[in-house]
Amino acid sequence: MDMNEIKEIFFQECEEQLAELESGLLKLNDGDRDPETVNAVFRAVHSIKGGAGAFGLDDLVSFAHVFETTLDCVRSNRLEPNQDVLKVMLKSADVLADLTNAARDGGSVDEARSRQLIKELEALANGELPQAAAAEPVAKSTPTAAPVPAVNEEGFQPVAFSFDDFEASEPPAIVPSTFEILFRPKSELYAKGNDATLLLRDLSRLGEMSIHCDMDELPALGSMNPEAAYFAWKISLKTDKGEEAIRSVFEFAEWDCELDVTLAGGDHAGAGEELPMQPVPFDLSLLDEEVPASTGAAEDDEQLAAQQREARDNAVSAAATASNVLQMAQTARASAESTKCVAPASAAQAAAQQAASAATPTIRVDLDRVDRLINLVGELVINQAMLSQSVIENDTNGTSSINMGLEELQQLTREIQDSVMAIRAQPVKPVFQRMSRIVREIADMTGKSVRLVTEGENTEVDKTVIDKLAGPLTHMIRNAVDHGLETPEKRVAAGKNPEGTVRLTAKHRSGRIVIELADDGAGINREKVRQKAIDNDLIAADANLSDEEIDNLIFHAGFSTADKISDISGRGVGMDVVKRSIQALGGRINISSKPGQGSVFTMSLPLTLAVLDGMVVTVANQTLVVPLTAIVETLQPEASAIHSFGASQRLISIRNSFCPLVDVGRILNFRAVQANPVEGVALLVESEGGGQRALMVDAIQGQRQVVIKSLEANYTHVPGIAAATILGDGRVALILDVDAIVAASRGQSLKPEMSLAAAG
Amino acid sequence: MKKRVLTVDDSRTIRNMLLVTLNNAGFETIQAEDGVEGLEVLETANPDVIVTDINMPRLDGFGFIEGVRKNDRYRAVPILVLTTESDAEKKNRARQAGATGWIVKPFDPTKLIDAIERVTA
Amino acid sequence: MASRNTAKKSLKLAPVLDLNEATALHERLLTLKGSPVEIDASAVERVGTLCAQVLMAGARSWEEDRLSFTFAKVSDAFVKTTQLIGVDIAPLMAKEI
Repeated sequence: MDMNEIKEIFFQECEEQLAELESGLLKLNDGDRDPETVNAVFRAVHSIKGGAGAFGLDDLVSFAHVFETTLDCVRSNRLEPNQDVLKVMLKSADVLADLTNAARDGGSVDEARSRQLIKELEALANGELPQAAAAEPVAKSTPTAAPVPAVNEEGFQPVAFSFDDFEASEPPAIVPSTFEILFRPKSELYAKGNDATLLLRDLSRLGEMSIHCDMDELPALGSMNPEAAYFAWKISLKTDKGEEAIRSVFEFAEWDCELDVTLAGGDHAGAGEELPMQPVPFDLSLLDEEVPASTGAAEDDEQLAAQQREARDNAVSAAATASNVLQMAQTARASAESTKCVAPASAAQAAAQQAASAATPTIRVDLDRVDRLINLVGELVINQAMLSQSVIENDTNGTSSINMGLEELQQLTREIQDSVMAIRAQPVKPVFQRMSRIVREIADMTGKSVRLVTEGENTEVDKTVIDKLAGPLTHMIRNAVDHGLETPEKRVAAGKNPEGTVRLTAKHRSGRIVIELADDGAGINREKVRQKAIDNDLIAADANLSDEEIDNLIFHAGFSTADKISDISGRGVGMDVVKRSIQALGGRINISSKPGQGSVFTMSLPLTLAVLDGMVVTVANQTLVVPLTAIVETLQPEASAIHSFGASQRLISIRNSFCPLVDVGRILNFRAVQANPVEGVALLVESEGGGQRALMVDAIQGQRQVVIKSLEANYTHVPGIAAATILGDGRVALILDVDAIVAASRGQSLKPEMSLAAAG
Repeated sequence: MKKRVLTVDDSRTIRNMLLVTLNNAGFETIQAEDGVEGLEVLETANPDVIVTDINMPRLDGFGFIEGVRKNDRYRAVPILVLTTESDAEKKNRARQAGATGWIVKPFDPTKLIDAIERVTA
Repeated sequence: MASRNTAKKSLKLAPVLDLNEATALHERLLTLKGSPVEIDASAVERVGTLCAQVLMAGARSWEEDRLSFTFAKVSDAFVKTTQLIGVDIAPLMAKEI
């Protein structure tokens, strides 16, 4: 492991800590006063600061330091974490995240913003609370991190090491002088794992030393406490290192001993004359290295036994053995050379680390490797399907053992595929967490007060889906705060809590992930939407639309209900873009709204973008795949159930209700005239608005799992078509975009959507 | 014979730095992620010296040090505290809990090794 | 004194004479009181101050009892550490009779 790898680990850890920080702050914001929550928040910032310091990331260190100082005030109950305080802290968390990203990827941060927050944090730490300011020296001073010198890329950062009384740089070389040292340890010195022997050893390394051990205090054997301090020493030391060096030897013992260091002046003088001083041999190095062979072996045996007891030890000793080959750089400067040597041992080290921290049995794998595996499995699925097909075509008996084997193969392939997909599945948590920042920023800009509530953050979905979710979700959240929620004044006037709530939930439902975004705002102003649609020629002035249909108008291109384009969600990017990105993911989106109570956007997305369960159908001699998740049931229409109305509209009656009939071949322009419903099959599908439509196709070929091949990536976007796949017989089939087809069928009046059919 | 160092720190970054530094310097390194785990592995780690962080979940450095000092077999093991705070208050609390010495983060490997050498025979 | 004729007892010191060993060593020495004792320090790797204190208190005690208290075999580490901390064990080294 080299410094770059550790740095990478550091940034990964930062991400985790930032998430921890944010969720902790949000908990505090919700009134949680558990000290452990405060501690966790403090630790997160503290930990980022610690690592950043080691890598010389100055900006990060200094901001984290100020943040930490303020958090410490909260931790020690000197600062009440009320909403105002948390507002500053949440913003600070955002800046900390920005600084971390800047440190990782280069780039810059909004310096004015971070300077402003530093001021606010400092104000919180001292200003507001008089008694706290008085009691807390840290808060009073302007906290700035120790300046750190530049450092080479992989080197450790030799910074800010401050033995307090040793802070000044190395004392200048001094001519040798003799010091008289009186050293009387207290019992505590020994109780804390220190030993006068060690201190005297270090002292003797400074120069020429003579020593007298004062045993006057030593009681009789019977009355002594074997763990009490009785010995004291009078030492004469001739050294050129100076008094500072002597005192620094006793740095750790300072409180646990009496120490007196005086310059004896000049050469060998000394009050030591009356005492018998014992000269100490200059070289005591043997003390460290010397190990009698016999006892060493004994301890090794003991160690061996311990290893057998505990696998952990095995790993540790493996690492140790491996590292034997390493350069034993006493200084341990992780220089370029030595880090290179470390490489062969890194596996063992990793194992040791794994063993030592047995808590999480996980491995980190490059996403590339997983993607490659998923691609290969996709090919395997296609291959298996082709194999099945050709066996079926060539084997008319149909009952041979080959068929059975094929079935098993199919099952196995399926299981492999599921397992591989599970590797890439990840909780939506990180995306949800990003949203809380968006909410804060937008609330700030609009002067609204907003609370984001998230649920189901641990719902898992394919990473590729997660990655593409952030864009549309961000836009929708902005929209919800900007357009959905009212201003605090209006809310109060409406008898609502001045603070609006945006609720983001994720859950699994029938093989898909459903993400809901609900606000408790004013709901959609249908009259306004309708008027706007009429003004923009989206609908005819006399069009008779249901509430649901009006609500869904906001997904049409170029539609914006805000009176003026706002900074936030304006700029011509509307919900139509959101809808298209969701559709590109194979998802659906719809809205339901209650005036005065708010709106709910519901997105339903596939769990993976790699495979799809589909129904293979024929339409005008073309083979199409309809996603199985969209299909409610299939039925054979009878002539008596078909009812025409208007110029070209037809309905099918199903169990005493009517459902619009959608001619897929006509909409996709596969044929010029309407097909006869009685000669085909109707697929009852649920459209995103909740209503049902009957898609008319010529015939059903069967059900199968297909591997999705992006049409955009390989060809170009085709309206009404979601993607393509390769069937068992090697033919390419198009996967139907059911929602687009339904939408196109719905609106004689919905011109932009109609162009879909024309283009298709 | 190699000296065995038990490190207790909840930061993966610091753990890795300690591991690399200590291994390069010829120590055998055993690592724990917090005070609770530190006390759990004490027996198997059988350390010559312990390096511990202060701010940790579950059981912080102060509690961990007290735990070690109460352990009949390991109470004499020198304990160095890794701390970002250089203020006397933190050091004092660590010392009262029974710490032998301290290393101020961000640590310089030389000083880390130096501090370890100082408190071990 | 009857004890004068008691056979010489020997005490082998542990390799690591640290805080924990101090109490144990103290107890073992107390049980040997009344007999001349010969200490084997050949296996000693580390000498902590607390154990050195116990040993020196023992030496004094034995001297008061006029019994011999000698170091028979000593390791290099033992010699060097005692020298370092100014504890003179030369007078206590076993002499060939």
